[in-house]
Amino acid sequence: MFSGKRNALRDSAAWRIAAWPAVAFAVGVALALSIMYFFIARDIRARSDAWLSGEAETLADVSAKTPRDSLYGRLVEEVAELATHEVSDPSLTGQQQNSVFFLQMQPNEQPIWVGPAPKERFIQAIQSAQLAHGTPENVHVDGWKLPFRVVYHARDSAGGIYLGFADLSGAKMLDRLAERCLLVWGITVVLGFLITWLAAYGTLSRVERISDTVSRIGSDDLSSRLPEGPYPDEISRLSKTFNKMLDRIQSSVHQLRVLTDSVAHDMKSPVTSIRGTLEVALAQTDRAQLQERVAEAIEGLDRLSEMLNTTLDLAEADAGALPLQKEPIELAGIIQPLVDLYQPAMDERGHRVTTQLQPIVVDADRSLLNRMIANLLDNEVAHLPPGCDINIAMQARGQEAGIIITDNGSGFPPELLSRAFERFVKGEHSTGHGLGLAFVQAVVTAHGGTVVLSNPTGGGAVISLSIPMALVPVEKSREGPQKPAFSLH
Amino acid sequence: MPETGVTCDNAYICPILVRPGSVVRLLVVEDDSAILDFLKRGLTESGYQVDTARDGKSAQALAADAVYDGFIIDLGLPDMDGLDLIGRCRAQGHTAPVLILSARRSVDERVRGLEQGGDDYLTKPFALAELVARLRNLLRRGPTPQQEALRLHVADLELDLVRREARRGGQLLQLTTQEFSLLEYLVRNAGRVVTRTMILDEVWHMHIDPATNVVEVQIYRLRKKVDEDGKPPLIHTIRGVGYVLREA
Repeated sequence: MFSGKRNALRDSAAWRIAAWPAVAFAVGVALALSIMYFFIARDIRARSDAWLSGEAETLADVSAKTPRDSLYGRLVEEVAELATHEVSDPSLTGQQQNSVFFLQMQPNEQPIWVGPAPKERFIQAIQSAQLAHGTPENVHVDGWKLPFRVVYHARDSAGGIYLGFADLSGAKMLDRLAERCLLVWGITVVLGFLITWLAAYGTLSRVERISDTVSRIGSDDLSSRLPEGPYPDEISRLSKTFNKMLDRIQSSVHQLRVLTDSVAHDMKSPVTSIRGTLEVALAQTDRAQLQERVAEAIEGLDRLSEMLNTTLDLAEADAGALPLQKEPIELAGIIQPLVDLYQPAMDERGHRVTTQLQPIVVDADRSLLNRMIANLLDNEVAHLPPGCDINIAMQARGQEAGIIITDNGSGFPPELLSRAFERFVKGEHSTGHGLGLAFVQAVVTAHGGTVVLSNPTGGGAVISLSIPMALVPVEKSREGPQKPAFSLH
Repeated sequence: MPETGVTCDNAYICPILVRPGSVVRLLVVEDDSAILDFLKRGLTESGYQVDTARDGKSAQALAADAVYDGFIIDLGLPDMDGLDLIGRCRAQGHTAPVLILSARRSVDERVRGLEQGGDDYLTKPFALAELVARLRNLLRRGPTPQQEALRLHVADLELDLVRREARRGGQLLQLTTQEFSLLEYLVRNAGRVVTRTMILDEVWHMHIDPATNVVEVQIYRLRKKVDEDGKPPLIHTIRGVGYVLREA
């Protein structure tokens, strides 16, 4: 369990999701801190350069105005010494303390030197640097890590004064600044990564929960559903989509079970009876009897074949593959001939059939419509007790054509009313295969219509169905493409 | 024209000769041996000379060497599509009618079959009687154009197609329009068995398969009027197959 958890952590996409923002964050913060560091460093240098230039000017002044006697050297040294102490930082120790030097070069005399020993290194470095008058510049001196900012004041043709300053405290400050920047950078990057990772992991763990739940849902348990979450975001939509898919799978599996159960029952029994009939026929010696049995078997096969055909039609309709060849059809022209065909069968059972038909043109598949209405009439013939009244009426309902079949029989068995359109659902005493109404619904649905069954309070049963009307009147459509006489909009 | 007065022992496989005196040669292509056997037996007993092939290749080989008066071709062959075979036979110069057999029953499939050289289409399972009837129609369609008769006779039954009246033994029968159409169809096919499906197709022009006994009741009513008490019955039920109108 634990290792599973750890692997889930290790294999989480949150790492990859968090990595790129972290890189972007690191680069951005590093850039900002570097810019800040650069400006601060420039300010510190400007400050030390300003001091250097001012002090060099003063010292040049002193050096110029001091009378050239025996004390000249000492005096200049003294003043320079004072100046160098101005900038020395008491926190610095050792070599670091002597970070300022003063050098006065004078023709024909020893240079005046105030600063760390040995002065020869400095003099050499200064001389090779070829400084220009008044502008502080960096001069590297052997043995010193930090370069000296050196300003040169030319006095006369042969000499001049040099004031040098290695801003150790400034450098130390910048070092400290750099350290802190690095620390701040590190903390922000880590924090940034952590926050993005946590956010990503939080979101992804919802995905993980979905995948856990889905993997738990096997074919045995299709009833579990995913929590859809409080926010209408992508993940909730994903859950919703999964739940809808599960609904569909559950209903398909249910239908498949019903189908296999029904095939087992409703197809095995006719096969058994046909087989039995033929076995009996085989044992017959009387030719007439033999023929009778064989004919019986053929009739059984015909019924089985009709049932197979309807089952296949329904399967096609379920798959949305019922091929519709729609054309504008005068609905009454379909209903009346079928009523005529069924009339004698109705008469035999003492049913009285009345019709109220009107000229309504629907957009439908002629062959399917024929079979559907034949199914409805079969239903009436097969299930009504003798001597009933059947009324077949047509109605225009907005853009739909309604067909209402009313009878005064015993009505639909109440327990079947809600499931009557499911395949293989049939009444206790029904001799049909239970596919008739399922086929009716499949055809009506394929045409974009609806069908409703009800037992009205006065008794009997009502089947009411509607099919979209054709938008183009039948006569005009025959003449070729024309402007629709009316449209839905 | 209806071969009136034809009687045979077994209406189920009643022999039909399209051109009397000549042999009608058929090629039946079907991969299912059980179906092939019963087709061969049924058609041979009906008076046809039948060659059989179980796949497209051997069918093509047979068709290359012989002239056939008709083809019965199953669409689901093991080595090629039945429609391809029809195309190849047509390309070889065969003009004889083709009856397509198929387990696929969609309207699409039927249309495609008829467009690609088929002349008629029959879905499995079918009644042998219906296959024979359709084959007969196909074979007749060719060389002998039919003369439209005005009157039809079987025994003492007489139909006036112009006035749409039927008489038995000179006595006018009170028939509805539907009943007259049904009787006319039976008389036109006198001596041959017609199935329920054929009646619905040809008389009512409906491709439906009623779950109830509507056709039986129609026939029963017609029979009550045509075969009145004491008269020798003309309309006979062939159990398991259909109906036949004939003397005795």
